[in-house]
Amino acid sequence: MNRAITLFRGVYGVWLREITRATRDRSQMIGGISRPLIWLLVLGVGLNPYFRGEVFGEVKYVIPFTYLQFLFPAVIVLNIMYTSIQFAVSVIWDREFGFLREVLVSPMPRSLILLGKVLGGSTVAMIHGGLVLILARFADVTLGIDQMAMALGLMFALSFGLTCFGVVLASRVRSFEGFGVFSNTVILPLYFTSSSIFPLDPTLSRTQTATAYPEWLVFMVQINPITYAVDALRGTIIGFNQFPPYYGPAVIFAMAAIFFVWALIGFRRQ
Amino acid sequence: MTPPRRHRWRRAALNFLVVVALLVAASFLPPDTSLRDRQQAGVIKACVPPSYPPLVTGDPARPGFDIELLEAIAREIGLRLSVNTLTSIGSDFNPRNWMLTRAQCDIIAGGVADTEQTRGFLQTIPTPAQTGWMAVSRTGELPERGGTVAVLPGTAGLDRVKLSTWVRANGWTARGTPSPAQFQAALDDPNLGAGIAERFVIDSLHLENGNFKRFWLPEQDFPRYRMALGLWKGDQTLKRAVADALDRVSKSGVLASIEKRYDLAAPPEQ
Repeated sequence: MNRAITLFRGVYGVWLREITRATRDRSQMIGGISRPLIWLLVLGVGLNPYFRGEVFGEVKYVIPFTYLQFLFPAVIVLNIMYTSIQFAVSVIWDREFGFLREVLVSPMPRSLILLGKVLGGSTVAMIHGGLVLILARFADVTLGIDQMAMALGLMFALSFGLTCFGVVLASRVRSFEGFGVFSNTVILPLYFTSSSIFPLDPTLSRTQTATAYPEWLVFMVQINPITYAVDALRGTIIGFNQFPPYYGPAVIFAMAAIFFVWALIGFRRQ
Repeated sequence: MTPPRRHRWRRAALNFLVVVALLVAASFLPPDTSLRDRQQAGVIKACVPPSYPPLVTGDPARPGFDIELLEAIAREIGLRLSVNTLTSIGSDFNPRNWMLTRAQCDIIAGGVADTEQTRGFLQTIPTPAQTGWMAVSRTGELPERGGTVAVLPGTAGLDRVKLSTWVRANGWTARGTPSPAQFQAALDDPNLGAGIAERFVIDSLHLENGNFKRFWLPEQDFPRYRMALGLWKGDQTLKRAVADALDRVSKSGVLASIEKRYDLAAPPEQ
């Protein structure tokens, strides 16, 4: 019992360090708000007129929401992606400055050290995702308590999976500079091919979809796990799913489990 | 043991508060100029069909539920209502084929059901009027398998594909009727078991008292919908103003009195 409490306090200590570090870092906070502001205020409002649904002009956008509402859950995912994956910088930092070595020689099992770090990173990422919810009024999105609870649950699971993914990347990249370039080459393609900024019309058949979009793009969208994360949050927040509703949560939880195991394998080699 | 530092979380809390305050302030930014434009013009334009009783009657003394509601809403916002009667509304079940433009109207009323199809085209504000597929027959029941039913698909945007599938699955032959007059004439045919149409179409028929009974189709197959006021997608500030005005009209009791005047209470279940 005492050992369990000691281990729990160890996990808590590692978690608290990550939270403290993130919340005291103004640059991280600025990043956390600049993304939703730019995407929703600039891109969302800027592109809104092109998706208004008037009869005149060519209008392809037929989903039953405004573009701002459609974009809103995707911006939450974007914020979570950046914060989660950038969290891996802290792993590189700890490794470079010897902190990791000090922690790893402690009696704590490595799996629990990793769990504490990942939980810390996930919490910060979820907070960054949650900050976007403050802009719900601007996007004309109304959320009930149950929707909010479900969204936060999905956001945490997604943050957990992506933070583990960041750790996997960090275990393979040795420098800060390298990680910066690498993370952008991973985040942006994943985000843009996740159906985040354009819908695949669910009423169209696969053949029709492939006619509307190049087939390679449809393929990229369909194999991208972030597509299903965006879809799960869209289903929860605005009630719109492009895929069967259980796909999203299933992919998010599977991603969290697989990446944690993968991250653990990489972390044990540190 | 070192005592905990005072104000340990002050910096983090301050950062967090600044971020939240900034996002809350941003959420109050107007996403478009639709309301301001109408206020500058002093008028709000509504497009309605020539007749869709009791929502639009064409009678200046008793113009219809939607018209009176729009007048009350316009008064609340401080604008004058200009009603534009267009024969193209209701000419087809797909609102995209009504060929409406922003130049003609800011709001579309008089036969817009709050369905997913309609929301692909417009932003909707539901009114208390309830619609759905209803049947009418002399017995108050649909015929045995092998019977014939008259069907008037109507224009409100209800799911006609689902209706035809259901009619076929129950072994009935559907006799299409393109207008309420032909639908009514078909009901007088003794070989015909029943008729199926949208609720307000059936309400508007002059059925001989006591000879016909009307009833909803099973709700598990055919959900009921609210009728709605439709606004262009992206006109969020105007939508918020109209929704707030509707709320005030409802709280003041004006809505209930209009509803009573047009006898909008949904028909009872049978």
